[in-house]
Order: sequence, then structure tokens, then C-alpha cells
Amino acid sequence: MKIVVCVKHVAVLGDEIRFTTDERDVDEDYYDRTLNEWDACAAEEALRIRERLGGEGEVLVVTVGGPSADVALQRCLAMGADRAVRISFDQTVHDPIAIGHALSEAIVPEQPDLVLVGVQSSDSVQGSTGTALAQFLDLPRVAVVKKVEYDHATRRATCHRELEGGLVDVVEVDTPAVLAIQTGINEPRYPTFRAIKDAERKEISLVSAAGGAVSGYHVRRMFVPPKPEGAEMLDGGPADVARRIAEIVKERLA
Amino acid sequence: MARDPKHDVLFEPIRIGPKTLRNRFYQVPHCNGAGSEKPNAQAWNRAMRAEGGWGASCTEYCSIHPESDDTMRISARLWDEDDVRNLSLMCDKLHEHGALAGVELWYGGAHAPCMESRCVPRAPSQLPSDFEHLTYPKEMDKDDIREVQGFYVAAARRARSAGFDIVYVYGSHSYLPQQFLTPFYNKRTDEYGGSFENRARFWRETIEQVREAVGDDCAIAVRISTDMFMGEIGTQLERDALPFVELVDNLVDLWDVNVSGISEWGEDATPSRFYESGRQLPWQGRVKQVTKKPVVGVGRFTSADVMAEAIRSGKLDIIGACRPSISDPFLPTKISEGRYDDIRECIGCNICVSRWEIGGPPAVCTQNATFMEEYRRGWHPEKFTKAENADNDVLVVGAGPAGMECAMILGKRGMRRVHLLEAEKEMGGIMRWIPLLPGLGEWARVVNYRKIQIDKLKNVELIPSTRADANAVLKYGAEIVVIATGAYWATNGLNGATSEPIPGADASLPHVLTPEQIMVGGKEIPGERVVILDNDGYFMGVSLAEKLATEGKQVTLLTHLGEVAPYMKFTLELPNMLRKLHSLHVNIVTHAMLQSIEPGRAVSYHVFDPEHLTEWDADAVVLITQRRSNEALYRELKDLGTDALRSEGIIGLYRIGDCLAPRMVADCVFDGHRLAREIDSPDPAVPKPFLRDRKVIELLRA
Repeated sequence: MKIVVCVKHVAVLGDEIRFTTDERDVDEDYYDRTLNEWDACAAEEALRIRERLGGEGEVLVVTVGGPSADVALQRCLAMGADRAVRISFDQTVHDPIAIGHALSEAIVPEQPDLVLVGVQSSDSVQGSTGTALAQFLDLPRVAVVKKVEYDHATRRATCHRELEGGLVDVVEVDTPAVLAIQTGINEPRYPTFRAIKDAERKEISLVSAAGGAVSGYHVRRMFVPPKPEGAEMLDGGPADVARRIAEIVKERLA
Repeated sequence: MARDPKHDVLFEPIRIGPKTLRNRFYQVPHCNGAGSEKPNAQAWNRAMRAEGGWGASCTEYCSIHPESDDTMRISARLWDEDDVRNLSLMCDKLHEHGALAGVELWYGGAHAPCMESRCVPRAPSQLPSDFEHLTYPKEMDKDDIREVQGFYVAAARRARSAGFDIVYVYGSHSYLPQQFLTPFYNKRTDEYGGSFENRARFWRETIEQVREAVGDDCAIAVRISTDMFMGEIGTQLERDALPFVELVDNLVDLWDVNVSGISEWGEDATPSRFYESGRQLPWQGRVKQVTKKPVVGVGRFTSADVMAEAIRSGKLDIIGACRPSISDPFLPTKISEGRYDDIRECIGCNICVSRWEIGGPPAVCTQNATFMEEYRRGWHPEKFTKAENADNDVLVVGAGPAGMECAMILGKRGMRRVHLLEAEKEMGGIMRWIPLLPGLGEWARVVNYRKIQIDKLKNVELIPSTRADANAVLKYGAEIVVIATGAYWATNGLNGATSEPIPGADASLPHVLTPEQIMVGGKEIPGERVVILDNDGYFMGVSLAEKLATEGKQVTLLTHLGEVAPYMKFTLELPNMLRKLHSLHVNIVTHAMLQSIEPGRAVSYHVFDPEHLTEWDADAVVLITQRRSNEALYRELKDLGTDALRSEGIIGLYRIGDCLAPRMVADCVFDGHRLAREIDSPDPAVPKPFLRDRKVIELLRA
């Protein structure tokens, strides 16, 4: 039994931010890195699936990035993951397709039974890396999973998907498959100091991505949008306010 | 984040007579327990306000002569040249930081008991003090009036030579000048009593003389109470205060405007339990309408929006503060830098005030553990040295006031990792539910400030919903373990009055309840008739009485003490608390102690006549008898012994807050702060000695 969890070291912006000189990214001096919340849930779910199977098998965490990405891997190792792989990736393009492709190259030789990803990352909020990854791995994928029951004997996973209006969509999927995990599925565990220290001693394997995935995606410019004009405050009694609102609506429709 | 431009008005300089205030932040006179006899503590404490951006800082009330001696309470004094020397240190340090130094010249009249000087105070009429019982003044004749005015002039000259920029002729809080103005204290029939003009004469002449003496060099400030809330007999806004402002406006450079007399000065230093920020603005705004001079006033202002609005709306020119500047000496700097969420807001508990009322001890603050520790412990509220053992990981168990403060300060001291372990989902401990008591909502600021700070600290992590036993702590991998597991209210009636449990008191029964069971546990209170036993004497008994009476119960509040909630006298909360309980028909019975509790019935005895029993129909009895530390976890770990702890890598085991001994929140916060400040001392469990401001005699050696 092997579960691969793909994680991201998301940026946590401070009160003040600056952009890089080419205006295509945030200057890294102005943010910290942490494990993406959705990915923490995915890692926790992987650990719980393994525990439900009696603790047999391996949980492998994979990420793409430079040394600053190790913070996310180390957190997962401290939570109880067995092994970590960081795919160094010097392409300047960081879109979901390129990342999905790089992940797939590292995951294929692992031949996992399950691949868990977070629904989205809190910083870029693309929500599509998992989908791209499934495409490159040629595996089925289940989106926005709030509950997983995995049967290792039949190699099938029953997933509860969260839909609008409190509806639940129950999906059965043959594995290997890519499951995109939604927050709220679990409360990720907090590692003790001992677990953190033990994790610091675990090695993180480095692999290089061959690259080659091409997408049409590139960042042109990042900027803080100018402040919109302030709201117009309407004074007076309910009748006056209502009359004024009606006038404004008519003006705008005209 | 940059400052919001709408707050720029707070940073505009303003003229005060011959001086310029660099911005609109002004620490008005308030006590701190230092006076003139702890000159270092005094200077360092006021200077911290200047460093934090306040444009001016003032002494507390400053006695002008031994006849105005407030012992046991601590005032500053300008009696002689030695006092000048001592207070000049404060002036020098304020000037170093670009702030003005103010001194509040004070003559107490009948309110000064003169317990140290053994003088007899003088007053307009011979009436015993309504504040300091058993103190009778001498009634002043005209020679006395000239002499006392001479004391003001001499003290003003000493103030100038000490380096003060602003000299007050202080009347508020019913002190001598305002005693003359107020019929309650002034029964005279000569030209110093009767008509407004006569009642105003002493204060007007005194201001004239002080101005004549030092007015070219110092700004003259007058602190006036505009309403004593005593009806016709007290100072009244329209009849007395506004005409007085108009009468002497040309002699005054700054009006410091408030309300209240001395016997209920909680109407001025308002507890958050009863009043919101800015409650004096209507009176301050009226003075603004009649004066041409700047007006400063307090209102427990902690919000920059409210401050800026007070100025823009023409109610104040300058934001006065005592408590907000105690809670956060760096409030102006934080507003200036747009660091609004770093402001440590005053909670309005009045623990600071209580220490003055008690007489003697240095003032303390629930929010700011460094208050009055600036000199003697060298603590700075915003600066932290990296701990020498910062490479250690610290586990703090329990995120109540002590645990939160300790974890936060350890984080600021750069410890490698701090984990704050909490059994509940949210941090706060006892302060998650105390703010749910009636009127105590603002006390939640104790949690909010620390939560925001801890969120910002990368090396501190809250571990919620986690209850650790001794084995879990042992195996956690921490080098330093701090236990802050709090305390609980006794469930069996154990109390300090009898030192025994109360027969029949058992909070596992439906009709016997503790505060936690009511506030957190959701235990239902059976029936209508509730007896609350309060052996604690602070806020818990009266707060639960108010809560349950508001919910429709018939409440009887018993206490073995002579007065209910005596500590709330010191926090100035008691008068309005008693009004509220009275209006809710709470039956207060003093000198009463429970002898036994049975379903439907409780029996009390009179503490000075134990044979005198009273039976109470009681569907429920609430026990507020005493608290006990939750020390099981600490005990278990300690009993393992140093070797067992060391074998797991634990080199330090400490406990703080209520877990050590149940105390006020201010003391728990201090305890957590103290341990974190001294985590790298040779024995962090033992507080390092602090500097004491005292004379040391020269030993004569043979």
C-alpha cells in the first residue's frame, strides 16, 4: 500500500508586500512559507487511511520547488509521513499544467495505490494542479472529497463529494486514482517537538524534473488594484433612502 | 501598514501657553505608586510613555505642603529641594524623549489624613471628609487662605526649577480649590462662600498667583470636574463649571476636563463594566464651546477612530489618557505606524486604580505586565532580548492568561519553538468565560491581543483541542515545560473563613453549583430561589448574582464579610454594582456563613453570633468559596524526579498562574511574563531580585 500526497509551500503574505522588479511575482522577502491548509488535510487523510489498514504501507509526500519548499515536506514528515521527495524545477513557468507534469514524472515510478492532493492552494487558488496531474498520470480523479473509504482488497475507493446546498455526491472509483481533498475532512494532527526533531533528521530526496510541458500560461503583471471610489452613504429616513436608491438604479440602467 | 490619513489629526502639534505639545496624545496625571520617594521608578515609568510617543506625561497628584499628606496613599510631593531633585529626574527623562512634563499641584483639604506628617489640613468649612473618614480639617480664616495660596506659589516655583513644563492648579476630585467652588464643602458666609463669584474666588486668586509666579516659563493647566452628580449641592456644569471656565479662561493655558467628585470617582475613572469609551465627551464638549484654550480630557480612549472623531467633532483638542497609556505606553507610536492590531487595549478593570485605593503598592495592569517594572526589573513593554537558551523548545500547557502571556513573550524572546497546548478549541482559559459575565465583555481583550500577537509569531504555535497527560508531556520532546493549567472553584464549599468544607456542599448534586458549571458546563439551575455564598470578595459573586437575578431568579447573596465584594470598592465598581443589585432585588446579607446545605434548604449563621441561625429556602446554592490550583499534571511530572525528566530531555519544569496559586488575572499575566523574561536566568522558578528605590545608610565602621 503506497499513498502519494502532493503538497505545496504556500506564501503567507505579511501586512506589507512588494513585487519583484519585473512585477510578475511578490518579492519573497515579504512573505513566509507554510504547508497549504488543503494539503495538510490530504496528508492527514493519507495517514488515517494507512492507520485504518493497520499501519501497513507507505505515505510519500512530494512537492515541486526550491529549498524553501522543504518547510511543507518537513511538516508532513513530522505528522508521520515516511518519505519526502522534492522536485527541483527551474522552469520560470509555474502554472498548474507545468507543475502537474513535473509531479507526474516523479510519481509514475512510485506506482502508488492512491494519490491525494488538496483541492486548491491558498495563495494562487488555481484549483487545477490535481486535475492536470491526473491527466498526465492517466488516472481517474475525484474532486472536492469530504470523506474517503478505501477498500484495499477490491482496490476501490468510495468518496463523498461536497456539493452546493448540502448535497453529497457518493462516487466509487477504481484505484489508483487522484483524490482532491477538501478542508474539513479531518483535523490535521499537530506534531510534537519530538516528531518535528525526528523529521528534521529524515532526508528529503531531490529529483530533477525533465520539464517539457508547455502551456500558454504566463504571468504578465501583478499589481495592487487602485482603490475603488468609496461607497456613497445615503442619509435620511427609510422613504428618502428608498427614493434615492430607486433614482440611482434608474440612472445606472439608463 | 501605513497610518490611515483620517488619524493624521492626532499628530498635529498644538500650543499650550508658552509650550508646544508635539501631538495630541497626553498622559494626564494619574497615580503609579512611585511619588517623589521612588524617583527612579517614577522617572522610568513616565519616560516609557514619552518613548512610546505621548506628547506629555504628568506626575500623579503632587502635594504642595506637608499639610496635604495623603499617606497611606502615595502622592508625589514638592515639599522641599530634595523633592525637586527627585522629580527633576522624571522631567529630564521626558525631555530626552521630546515630551512635556506636567505636575499636578495638589492640596487635599479634608481628604488628606496627614498620617505621616501629623499636620492638620485646612478647608473652606469644618466638615469631616466624605472620602477619608475621621479626617477633620481646620476651617480656614483669611490668613489661612493667604498662607495656603503661598504654598501653591512656592510649590509652583519648585516645579519650575525641577523642569516641569506644565503646572496644574488641581481642583477635580473635590480637592481644595474645587471645595471652595462647591456648596457641599463650602458653607462660608464671607467673600469666599455663597455666590458663584465668592465660591470661585479662592481658585481664581490661586491661579492668578501661580501664573504670576511661573506663567512666563510654564503652561498653567486647570483640572476641573464639571459635574459631581450630587444635585444642587455639588459642582454643576451650567451653574458653576462653565462660568468658572469663562471667568479665568485668560489665566489658563490648558483645561483638563472631567466629571465626578472624590467619593464616587469611578464616574471619572470609569470601569468598563458600566461605561463605554468616551463617556465624558458631552461635558468636555461643553467646555470646548466656552473656552478659547485647548481642552484635554480622558475617556479610556483606545481606538484611533474614536480619538480622531473626538477632535474633529470639536469636543476635545487633545486626547487625555491614564489607563490606555498604562495598558499600552506605545499606543501613539502604534497608531502612527498603522500597527492598529498591535495596540494592547485597556480592559477597564481598574486594577491599576485599586492599588492607589489600597494605598502603597505600585500600580499594576492586567494587560501590561511591565507597568511599574521599567526601572526595578528593567522591563520594556516592546523590547525583548534574545534568550541565552533560545535554542530550546518550550511546551506551555494551558492557554489561559498566564500561559498565553508566557508563550507570547517566549516567542518574542526568540525561543526556537514554543507550543501552547490547550485542551479547548480556542485559547483564553478562564478568560474565555469571564467576559461572558454581565458587563465584562471588554475583558476579552486579554485574549484577543495575545491571540493576534501569537498568530504573528512564527515560532509560537497553538496546539488546540489537546489534553496532555504526564506521559504525553514527558515524550513531547521539549527541553522546557511550563504548566499553566489554571484553577477551579471548590466543589465542596472549602473556604478561607472556616478552612473546612461546608456540610452538604457537593457540586455533583443538582442543587449545588460552581461558577464554571454555570458559565461553561451548561448545568441547569433548578428552581427559582438561589442562594449564592461569596467568600471571595471580588467580582464573581456579585456578577453571578446580577446574571441570575436578570434571568429571573430570586437571589440571596450571602457573604461572611462585612461588605459584599469589598475589592470592588478599590476598583471603583462597587457603588454602581450595589445600585444594580438593589434594582434587581438581590437580597444581600453580610456577616453570614453557610452552616449546611440540603436539597431545598440552606442554613446560615451570623459570624459574630454563631448561635444565630437563619434558614433559607434554596432551590439552588452557588458556591463561590475559594479556588484550588489544577496541579495534578505538574505534581505528577515533578514527582517523577529530575533524572526521569532529564532522560527525556526536559531540563526545566515550571508552573505559573493559577496553577501555582489562584490569583487575579493581572497577577497571572505577570507570572507568565516574569517566567518568560527570566527563562535564561540561573533559576527561572525564582524571581530575580528587583531594584528598590530606597535610601541606604552609610555604615559607620570602627
